[in-house]
Amino acid sequence: MNVLEVHNLKKYFATQKAVDGISMNIEEGGIFGLLGPNGAGKTTLLRMITGIFYQDSGEIIFNGKKFNPEKDVADIGYMPEERGLYKKMKIGEQAVYLARLKGLSKADANAKIKTWFQKLEMESWWNKKVEDLSKGMSQKLQFVTTVLHNPKLIILDEPFSGLDPVNANLIKDEIFSLAKNGSTVIFSTHRMEQVEEICNHIVLVNKGKNILDGKIAEIKNSYKENIYSLTADNLPAQGNSNLFDVVNEKQGKLILKLKDNSSPNDILQYFINEKAAIHSFNEVLPSLNEIFIKLVEGTATARQFQNVN
Amino acid sequence: MNKILLILKREYLTRVKKKSFVFTTILFPALYMALIFGTGYLSSSVQKMNIAIVDSSGYFSDSLLAKINANDSTILFTPVKDTSVQSHFRKAGYDGYIIIPPIDWQTGRKNIKFITDKTHGTGTESMIENKLNIIWSEVVNEKLGIDNEKKTVLNTSNISIKEENQENKNANSAVSSTIGYVCGFLIYFILLIYGSQVMMGVMEEKTNRIAEVVVSSVKPFQLMLGKIIGISLVALTQFFIWVACILLVYTVGKMMGSESAVASAIVAGIQKSFASVNLPLILGCFAFYFMGGFFFYSSLYAAIGSAINEDVREAQSLSFPITLLIIFAIFMMTVAIRDPNGPIAVWGSIIPFTSPIVMMARLPFGVPGTVPVWQLILSMALLVIGFLCTTWLAAKIYRTGILMYGKKPTWKEMLKWALRK
Repeated sequence: MNVLEVHNLKKYFATQKAVDGISMNIEEGGIFGLLGPNGAGKTTLLRMITGIFYQDSGEIIFNGKKFNPEKDVADIGYMPEERGLYKKMKIGEQAVYLARLKGLSKADANAKIKTWFQKLEMESWWNKKVEDLSKGMSQKLQFVTTVLHNPKLIILDEPFSGLDPVNANLIKDEIFSLAKNGSTVIFSTHRMEQVEEICNHIVLVNKGKNILDGKIAEIKNSYKENIYSLTADNLPAQGNSNLFDVVNEKQGKLILKLKDNSSPNDILQYFINEKAAIHSFNEVLPSLNEIFIKLVEGTATARQFQNVN
Repeated sequence: MNKILLILKREYLTRVKKKSFVFTTILFPALYMALIFGTGYLSSSVQKMNIAIVDSSGYFSDSLLAKINANDSTILFTPVKDTSVQSHFRKAGYDGYIIIPPIDWQTGRKNIKFITDKTHGTGTESMIENKLNIIWSEVVNEKLGIDNEKKTVLNTSNISIKEENQENKNANSAVSSTIGYVCGFLIYFILLIYGSQVMMGVMEEKTNRIAEVVVSSVKPFQLMLGKIIGISLVALTQFFIWVACILLVYTVGKMMGSESAVASAIVAGIQKSFASVNLPLILGCFAFYFMGGFFFYSSLYAAIGSAINEDVREAQSLSFPITLLIIFAIFMMTVAIRDPNGPIAVWGSIIPFTSPIVMMARLPFGVPGTVPVWQLILSMALLVIGFLCTTWLAAKIYRTGILMYGKKPTWKEMLKWALRK
């Protein structure tokens, strides 16, 4: 079942087609990556999904019904890219306040915060103020206040920026366990290595449109270029072969691009016949980063101001 | 609704718990008193002057000058025979000199020159003039043959009038003006101080970027309204503390009154003045105009706060027109107190931009005596409509502004946000 469906969503500003007809489906229980270069329209899209903006046209279906911000925000947790907390407010009070704005009762909010604070080793923070926290610490706090009310849909905009590797791993594990317990996570970023590690489904957005949508494995497969890597001793001198082109050669490691009519077996056969001692042979799939750059490249890196009408 | 309650509770509690709240609550009346008495003291202490009088009319005799100097020594007239004092009066220890030309006692003389080496202003000028005239009237009296007995009759025998409003026998225009002033100024201060607090509060939420987190849980309108109501309650709390203090002083004064004649006179005076106005009406209207005016102006301040990016100078320049309106209202109020039935008073108390201050200045003069009931109802209705309009407009500006960063706000831009569907 899809926890969220977005149909042909549009939002134009005075000088920008910020979101220009994006459609996507997000399955329940997965970790979903929303990718795109700066200014692609990710934040505007997320703001519509969280009920902060109203779309100009298009439809948002949340939980099988038309999205009703008034009611549905209680099931959504949103951590914006620009973090914000009341600096002068005590941390415990602040967490309770934000949880209650999501509709939790006072007792419920207190209990949930205690468990979370214990889990992330934050118990001693309760009576401190946010201004006393380091950037990474307040990031952790922001994460807790986002997921506190057990939302069905968790939206995290660049959740790891500013976190050291230890705390980043801590949060990463929490994201996994939230997804395992049935929450759906939308994870917006332009850091590809994190996406490859965490997400199982991605949408790539550029200039307000989605240009790629699918499971990571499938996307990689569809963008593969028949490139293989082979390591071996006693490699024969490379002449021209009608089976492959050599892309790169380095100390017993060859990167090969297969020609149209050859198969991996043909290649192996060739090297075995040449008496090479093969250590490994495997396919090289493009990284998301390469796909991303390939798709986005050539379009102007920064969005230009345009006339909407 | 529940969420507005949560927000206003936070806004209220964080402000009331602050040390600065306690501080200003105590300090403000103290400073205000100091200001009033301080300026009173400063203006009463006038610099002494010594003025040389060179008399060529023969009327300003040494004995008359000595007599007048004995009565009041702030300005000392010293008779000088030698006209050479003109060239070096400062060295001779005089602040200035007056050469009195020959005067015809029946017509007097205008524009006698008072020569100085620095400008003293009209206050000093009229003091010297008054003093010279006291001497001059003695001269004239003598010429006319008016003796001391007749002079007393001339001075004391006159007619005075006192206004009595037949709708309200107790009306006392002095007490009414005072109460009007106090009410008007209180609303003025609260609008200015707490209005800018609303603005700073909104700015803080925007620059801290908490706004986006909160509006993913509540509607921007709820956030704005919660803040405005919360802060208005802070203002109300402060006001009640002041009223409680006054009542405390009053009762303590009453208790001590049995022993001290002065205290009992003051208490009786206060009782009498309160008896001359319709106190429940004034207090009720004060609460209404206070809240109405506060919502009217603070929603505008909130809208401006939402448009600003971290820059306090932007805040000042954008909020200036709003502040100017409030200051304008206080000017209209001073006119209205002098003439509570004049057109400025009537219109100022009906138009919502100025009505919270001007109407409060008029009300103590009496309803329906000075303020007809229809005017009061019209003024209240317009204020309600007015604050609904400003809140509605402000909410639209706020909704866009609170998430808009980096753009320098202008009134034109804000108007565009407000008028967009």
